[in-house]
Amino acid sequence: MANFLVWVVWFGAAFACLVSALAVVSFSNPFYSALSLIGNLASLAVLYLLLGGEFVAAGQVLVYGGAVMVMFLFVIAYLGDRTDESPWSGGPSWQVFGAVLAGGAILAEVIVVVGLKAGNLLSQPKHIGRSFGTPAALGRLFLTNHLLAFEVTSIVLLIAAVGGVVLGAHARELGSDARA
Amino acid sequence: MKIAAWICLLLPLASALAITIAGTRIPRRAAAYVSTLTTMGAFVAAVVAFFDMWSKAPHARAAATTSWTWLSAGQYHFGLTLLVDQLSIVMMLIVAGVGSLIIAYAVGYMDGEDEERRFFAYMSLFVFSMLLLVEGGNLLLLLAGWGMVGLSSYLLIGYYQERASAIAAAKKAFVMNAFGDATMALALFLLIKVTGRLDYAGVFAHSPHGGTTANLIALGLLGGALAKSAQLPLHTWLPDAMEGPTPVSALIHAATMVTAGVYLIVRTHVLFENAYIVQDLAAGLGAATLVMAGLIALVQTDIKRVIAYSTMSQIGYMFVGAGLGAYPNAMFHLMTHAFFKALLFLAAGIAIHAVTGEQDIRKLAGVGKLMPFTKIVFLIGSLALVGIFPFAGFFSKDSIIAAALAHGTYGAIIWVACIVGAFLTGVYAFRLYFIVFTGEPSAFAREHFHAHHDKEGPLSMLWTVGTLAVLALVGGFLQFAPVWHPLTDWLAPVAAPITDPSNTQEWITSGFALAVGLAGIGVAYVLYVARTVPVPKALPLFEKKFYWDELYDVLWYRTADAFSRMLGTVIEVPLVAGAISAMAGLAGASSRELSVAQSGLVRTYALFLAGGLAILTLVFLAAR
Amino acid sequence: MHGPDIQWYVILSAILFTTGALGVMLRRNPLIILLSVEIMLNSANLLLIAFSRLHGREDGQVFAISVMAVAASEVVVGLGLIVAMGRRNVELDVDKLRTLRG
Repeated sequence: MANFLVWVVWFGAAFACLVSALAVVSFSNPFYSALSLIGNLASLAVLYLLLGGEFVAAGQVLVYGGAVMVMFLFVIAYLGDRTDESPWSGGPSWQVFGAVLAGGAILAEVIVVVGLKAGNLLSQPKHIGRSFGTPAALGRLFLTNHLLAFEVTSIVLLIAAVGGVVLGAHARELGSDARA
Repeated sequence: MKIAAWICLLLPLASALAITIAGTRIPRRAAAYVSTLTTMGAFVAAVVAFFDMWSKAPHARAAATTSWTWLSAGQYHFGLTLLVDQLSIVMMLIVAGVGSLIIAYAVGYMDGEDEERRFFAYMSLFVFSMLLLVEGGNLLLLLAGWGMVGLSSYLLIGYYQERASAIAAAKKAFVMNAFGDATMALALFLLIKVTGRLDYAGVFAHSPHGGTTANLIALGLLGGALAKSAQLPLHTWLPDAMEGPTPVSALIHAATMVTAGVYLIVRTHVLFENAYIVQDLAAGLGAATLVMAGLIALVQTDIKRVIAYSTMSQIGYMFVGAGLGAYPNAMFHLMTHAFFKALLFLAAGIAIHAVTGEQDIRKLAGVGKLMPFTKIVFLIGSLALVGIFPFAGFFSKDSIIAAALAHGTYGAIIWVACIVGAFLTGVYAFRLYFIVFTGEPSAFAREHFHAHHDKEGPLSMLWTVGTLAVLALVGGFLQFAPVWHPLTDWLAPVAAPITDPSNTQEWITSGFALAVGLAGIGVAYVLYVARTVPVPKALPLFEKKFYWDELYDVLWYRTADAFSRMLGTVIEVPLVAGAISAMAGLAGASSRELSVAQSGLVRTYALFLAGGLAILTLVFLAAR
Repeated sequence: MHGPDIQWYVILSAILFTTGALGVMLRRNPLIILLSVEIMLNSANLLLIAFSRLHGREDGQVFAISVMAVAASEVVVGLGLIVAMGRRNVELDVDKLRTLRG
């Protein structure tokens, strides 16, 4: 029974995930695209929960679906309504064909790998304890095995923040020039 | 004795370094005095070492002193070893003694030159290098000194660096000496391969007797000796080297460095005795050189070049001596030659100095009337050169010629060549003397002659020349083979002669040599003083110095030049240049074609990325 | 383990990735391209977490969080650029930005 329920949740989340992803790509108005991406992120968080990633799921919803996407929406609102009239056109004539071919090839290859080469390697997950994916476990890893990655990530964030400020200041200067 | 040897070696080096480091902080004269005094100090040290050695028994006189392992490669270790034995002490005395006299002479001669300090630093460097050459306790150190005397010679020939001819002469000397250095280095490689060592005793004990290897080793050493001593066929650099200042010509290109070849043969005589063909070759080349140089000297008009050719000729005698195995005789002649040839050069230098640097004997003609002292000392030098009793050359040269008589048929041929050479020596030496120092002064000489404070030259030039004149006068009495021979006895433990002429041969030879020498002087007198017979027109063969320069020009320069031009037209233009322009064209064309892909469309770039990913994945899939 | 095996997640991730990639390759609006890149990043995150579950180790989740941080940085810079474009009244069309054309 529990198993069935899990399947139902999985299918629901996966379906939502795919549909919202397609919506992100297809909407001609970026505002709707951004909203769809929030749905995509939320459904992914559900999948993370199913995989035992409680902390990551929470982070996904709070940081990604919350903070980052709010920033997106702010920018889109700031730039105003710029609906794309012909969202798919432009570029060389073979662009669409090539893109679909390349994307299809990648997808087909992954399916081939999973279906033919992986065997039952992917169907025997390890048993996990109750503490799997808890903030405590992740925090311990971050401060022990992955300390360097942790610090480097913080520096990357810092650099990005500085870069954002510089870009903004530059843009403000240009704007004042344009007005004057 | 060991300490004295080190002091003797290192004092000139210290002087060279001190003058170089002090630079313009010391006056120019100070550099001259530093150089003179240190060389004299080296001489004193050599004298101390000599007396120390003399006090010991003959077999205990050699002493080696190693300061540290100088070079270490795998199983080979070469120490910074000095070997002071009967042979090297003789050379040390000659080098430091004659060297200090000549450098003292240069104090006056070089006075007023712009770059006196450079000159004296080079001179000190040369004395150090030469002492290293003679004191080195193994062949590697000898080679190091060998190369360094070549370097100092190069620097000093090119001392007048603003003169293109001096630079060319310096380069010529360097290249020819480098050739000799190379053959010598090859010989050393062979020695290392065969014996595994380079110290004299070890090499002598282990080197092969006869056979190709022994011949090649001796040939390589002989090549070095020929180049350094300006013997056929590597002699053409020496006359040009007269571009250097006169003290340089006296010290390096007459008294010491050019005789290093003789020292080398005597020092490594065991190796040459193991390859007697090469040793005979050395004697033959020496004989050929002495005749040829004598012939060329007959027609030269540059006073220093005449003396330079006479140097070549005299070293030819030494090679004859060393090649025939009469080592003490060769060393004896080396010593007396150092005295009288330095004397000739320095006396010529006084004349040149007094006539504002003119070296052409036609313009110098008759200058001896104005300089009686120089005339006398030049006469002494010339008499010693020709070998007239009782001057130094008589004793040393005749004993070498006599040795030829004691060496079978081959020796007889060489004996004839030597006698012819003695005759030529008489003619060219006194041609020079009669033209320059007797007769009425030429207009040029009268006009340009200027006395130095009522003397013929600065005091430092006069007393040194006087000392050398005394040495040229009495130096020969050190040994008179038929009667007494202390030098031969002294050298016996190191270089025992393998050819020892009998007293009869000595007397016969002395008579002949003296007679032909006097005959040569007579001919010169008839031609240049009495003028009863007109001077024969000079053969172009002599004037062109037997066309050696032209031969080398055709053989090496023109051949290489033509070959390079051929390479230029056949290889460089079509292949190298063609390849470069073809590559440039290819790069240009291909980038023009490829620039189409750089459309500036980010989306297309992303497409290429995705396509690449797809293909890579496919490759990995296929590879598994 | 209850529910689907890991291969399902892998295939879902592949579809998501392809969708995002198609968005990057086909759309001209830089905002939507940025959003598509987010989808691609999230598909990778999904894989990381799925394999973390498979191996029973949390390292994959640690990586996922790092990826999130990097994605946030990327969004900051990307949006900054887009705002700058908007300020200069440049049309929001990546096909128009082809100064680097060869």
